[in-house]
Amino acid sequence: MSIRLLVLIPVAAAVSLALSAAVDAVALPLFLDTTGTILATALAGPAVGIATGVTTSAVNTLRNPTFWPFVVVQLIVALYAWLAARAGLFRSLRTAIPAGLGLGVIASVTSTPISYLVFGCTTTGGIALTTALGRALGLAPLGACFFGSFVSDFGDKAVTFALVTSVLHALPRRTAARFPWALRAIGAA
Amino acid sequence: MSGRLHPFTLLAVAAALPALAWILPAPIGPAATLAVALGLTLTPGASPGSTGIRSSPGSTGIGSSPGWRPGSVVFRAALLTAAPFWLFLLLLHDVPTTIATGLRITTMVASIGWVVAALPPARLVEAMVAAGWSATAAYLFAATLSAVPVLKSRAQRIVEAQRCRGLSPRGGVVNRLRALGAVALPLILSALHEVDERALALETRGLVPGVHRTPLEPPPDRVAERVARWGLAALCAAALVWRLA
Repeated sequence: MSIRLLVLIPVAAAVSLALSAAVDAVALPLFLDTTGTILATALAGPAVGIATGVTTSAVNTLRNPTFWPFVVVQLIVALYAWLAARAGLFRSLRTAIPAGLGLGVIASVTSTPISYLVFGCTTTGGIALTTALGRALGLAPLGACFFGSFVSDFGDKAVTFALVTSVLHALPRRTAARFPWALRAIGAA
Repeated sequence: MSGRLHPFTLLAVAAALPALAWILPAPIGPAATLAVALGLTLTPGASPGSTGIRSSPGSTGIGSSPGWRPGSVVFRAALLTAAPFWLFLLLLHDVPTTIATGLRITTMVASIGWVVAALPPARLVEAMVAAGWSATAAYLFAATLSAVPVLKSRAQRIVEAQRCRGLSPRGGVVNRLRALGAVALPLILSALHEVDERALALETRGLVPGVHRTPLEPPPDRVAERVARWGLAALCAAALVWRLA
């Protein structure tokens, strides 16, 4: 791994953690905590993406210990983003947003058993409330847990994919060419 | 006490307590692990600020609250972090499940809160380097910890600058998403433009992936501590076998 790709990992992980300030500023119910993982994967491939996801989870765990069990979701996100980059799905918002919605489904399917078995579906306030809504609608406990995860992940991952696509297209071509996967991800190579 | 232990011993204790909380039968097992974890948060080594890690500006203030001894700050932070989980567990589950899961989650929160307070990242990096880990792994951890506050303050500056230009968090979802782009894009692009600069700085200092460096001040790793770490791993394995049998 080159030094440039090594440096990209902590920068991308820090981006994921710092974006909470941007989300707070516009008062949207989003996490965007996988932005760095998806961005690093689209720029530099799955190894860098997975390392970014693990680093993000490890550092996030220092702030909130309940994040660590969800490191598996970061790995799934990195692998999915790699497939999306290979297919050139970051070439426009019309292809990126549906891909993000697909990731939302996969991420909620992955996080539901962790949330259910480890935390009893109480990972964050918002998800717990939507889970309670699912229970009130008559869903079984596991179904209500999936409902809570799905509601939070579905939009979040679509917005994250759209944001990463915007970043990739806003990068100067010369800068993008320094990363091995960037041009292929946007369909320019 | 915790300040004198080797970083790997602190991590082993912090990992073993939640593992045992989930393995041992509730409520006795998780209650016992919680008692140990909360006891650790009250030890002198777990005082706030000893590690150099501070929580985000919005969540500080616990340490400065009157009426709490410095040693009880981590204890109270753990209880405050775990409290919402108990509320939502009660909302979603019956009382026995709430108690069992609540005790386990609180054990996890308290033990990780304790290790974060008791273990300075620089000491962990020294221990990793002394144990033969490559400089790359140590760099990833330390560089992310140092980059987060820098990017957070930059994000705050971008938010303020965009507000001066008319950014408004009001309106429908589409307006808010546009506003999000106006804040997030400059932040991410500026971070990516720094990659080359940081890479050049590392190359200048001779950091090559996979290379082993000499630690300046390696923490002492006593035989008793190594035995204790293996003992904790054996205890967790034995408890798991006992539960599965």
